[in-house]
Amino acid sequence: MLELIKANLGLILATAGAVVAAAGGILGSAIGVGIAGEAAAGLVSEQPERFGNALVLQLLPGTQGIYGLVVAVFIAMRAGLLPGGSVDVAVAQGWQLFFAAFPMALGGLISAIHQARVSAAGINTIGKRSEEFGHCMLMAIMVETYAIFSLLISMLLIFGVKL
Amino acid sequence: MIVSMKRLTLVGIRQEETDILRALQKAGAVELISVTSDDDGGEGARRLDEAAERISRFSESLSAIKPYAKKPGLLAPARQEKLEKMQGDVGEAEVASTHIRAILEEKKQIEARLEKDRSTYDALIPWADMDQEMSSIVSSKFTQYFTGLVDPAGEAAIREQEAISAEFYGEPGNRAAVLACLKEDARLVAGFLKTVNWTDVSFPHLKGTPREAMQAIEQDEIAGEKRLIELHKELESCGVSADLLENAADALLIEQDNLAAQTQVERDVSIFRLEGWVRSDETDKVEQAIRSVTDAYYTEYRDPAEDEVPPTVLKNDAFNSPFESLITLYSLPDARGIDATPYMTPFYIFLFGIMLSDTGYGLVLSLGAWLLLKLKKPTGGLRGLAMVLFWGGISTMVWGVLVGTFFGLDFDVIFGTVDRFPLLIDPTGNPVGMLLFCLLLGIIHICSGHVIKMKMCFEDRDWQSAVFDNLSWVFILIGLVLFALPMASTFFDPPFELGWYHALYLDKVGVGLILAGSAMILLFKGREKKNPVMRLASGLGGLYGVTSYLSDILSYARLLALGIATGYLAMVFNTLCSMLMGGSGVMKVVGFLIAVVLLIALHLFSIAINTLGTFVHCARLQYVEFFGKFYEEGGRAFKPLQYKTKHVQISK
Repeated sequence: MLELIKANLGLILATAGAVVAAAGGILGSAIGVGIAGEAAAGLVSEQPERFGNALVLQLLPGTQGIYGLVVAVFIAMRAGLLPGGSVDVAVAQGWQLFFAAFPMALGGLISAIHQARVSAAGINTIGKRSEEFGHCMLMAIMVETYAIFSLLISMLLIFGVKL
Repeated sequence: MIVSMKRLTLVGIRQEETDILRALQKAGAVELISVTSDDDGGEGARRLDEAAERISRFSESLSAIKPYAKKPGLLAPARQEKLEKMQGDVGEAEVASTHIRAILEEKKQIEARLEKDRSTYDALIPWADMDQEMSSIVSSKFTQYFTGLVDPAGEAAIREQEAISAEFYGEPGNRAAVLACLKEDARLVAGFLKTVNWTDVSFPHLKGTPREAMQAIEQDEIAGEKRLIELHKELESCGVSADLLENAADALLIEQDNLAAQTQVERDVSIFRLEGWVRSDETDKVEQAIRSVTDAYYTEYRDPAEDEVPPTVLKNDAFNSPFESLITLYSLPDARGIDATPYMTPFYIFLFGIMLSDTGYGLVLSLGAWLLLKLKKPTGGLRGLAMVLFWGGISTMVWGVLVGTFFGLDFDVIFGTVDRFPLLIDPTGNPVGMLLFCLLLGIIHICSGHVIKMKMCFEDRDWQSAVFDNLSWVFILIGLVLFALPMASTFFDPPFELGWYHALYLDKVGVGLILAGSAMILLFKGREKKNPVMRLASGLGGLYGVTSYLSDILSYARLLALGIATGYLAMVFNTLCSMLMGGSGVMKVVGFLIAVVLLIALHLFSIAINTLGTFVHCARLQYVEFFGKFYEEGGRAFKPLQYKTKHVQISK
């Protein structure tokens, strides 16, 4: 068993990286869309006609999950884990791919939750002042900046690995 | 351009006030300023409330029948209607609305009754076997009855009591009981019942035995349900009145605005006076509107006084005007400031394309926006948005060829070329090069902001601010670019040919510009200060501002990040779907079909979220990095008295 792990350590680390990236982004988005969704449901109970606006704000923290998915797929692709690929991943490169996942995992997890809080606050605001929807959306998307930067760093690191 | 405003004073004959206000509302060119002394004893407010109440009644009826009304297509343009017809519809709509609300009221009553019936029925179930009339169980002079529910232990305890004669009904476990005892024992029995698990239940005031009462309730429920279905059908048939109600509601909305305007007018015994703001290019329109009513009036137009704040109206050509909505989204400029729209538009379109940077996505976006404009013929904000997306899509198509992809596919794959595309730079292959390119665009953007500010300063005859606070930074930023270009070129493949560059000593010029700019800030930032030490200190403080420029410039990294996010997302979708196509035989066909459907859905989704992100981040670069250099916000919107409607468009 130990021999098997040793022989495939690079691949195992790369897989772990893909898992971490996907899990971080997806967890964050799941929590985030949940938080914003509660606020959205509350708004719809009073003003069903605001459903469309509430839905957009609810979905904003959902993108981190997608970014996590993108990073995971690219790690898997570079490590030859997807159909049609087969690459020899050395241990050092395995570690590189593993750590490349972390900016996205942590940045996605945390930014999604905080973005959700801005979204939820925005949903409460449009309950009182529906014309403020545009501004509320802007504020929520500002948080997204850091998820995008996390994605950027993770992707640069993944493509920086020499395979 | 910001339209200059005139302050209007209009004096007219009181009898003609209503007609003049109507004409002005039709012209839609005057924003009223309240000059009323409010001496009508709340009459105006009362009429306003009344109008609001009528509108809310129409809205209530309208939302009740809306599901049964004929639905216009998703892309159908808004319905056009003449105001006279809409006003004529009010009476008929009132009848329809009364009818609809009567139906709703009856529906509500029946539903409440059915709910009550249901709970009565449930309460009677344990007594179903009792064959006495409920009304016969009445305490008399000598006997006292108790009715209620009891558990098995309680039942046994009651059966042991000789003073109580008891009848039990219903399921074991939750027994209904009728107890009888002598009047003089009543108090003792009541006390005893408190010690066992007894719950008092009194019969509803219904005729017959419980079973008969339950049958009567069942009958009533059937009748109620039947009536509900009838009412539902009736409501459905009222669906045809939707247009009527919409017309009437909008006519009243216009009426309400007019009533509100009336409360802002000052009146004398025989004349009235109103004041308001008018666009300086629409004074003729106002004159014409009033003259269509009367010749007996007096108007005066004057420029706003120093302490008056006129509303801000933006005016641009057909190309730039849709982008005004982006300015409005941020904050209107101060009425005495400048309109940033024409400056922002080219940058917005340019940067939008880099962020989305996929020819396929740009194509879909432009096509979608164009279809929306052609079919729906939207007005106002939606039209502006569609136009912005249309131009953004065009730019995206161009950038898609220069730095991007086509639906996530490399152009080389499509055209069978080798390393020909993207034409300018490949962000995934050379991210550092792309990053530097984005930062360069950022520096150009920021410098443009400073140049606009310089222009504004010169117009104010403040050449010192123009040179020392703005030109200095332009020097530093351009110097930085010149200085860093040779180093940056090593990140490109092949590196730039820079012989001429060194021949002209452009890198040295860059250093010179940086030093010159820095010196200007250091020495002249605190130019109003007399004390040389203080002056130098404030110069140093000014130089420290370089940190904010650093963060401003780095902020343009989002151009690369968003572009890459779009490209990678599309690529991931393509990869996932191509896996589905890998089967053989029947599976190949099925897999292909699923993959095609999935691809369309996923790419549409990707276009939606990436366009949203691009729209906002592109706006942010304008609002924070660009506007921060010159923009003076704080204006308020022009809200003239006009035909403002919710459902229909007023046709001329």
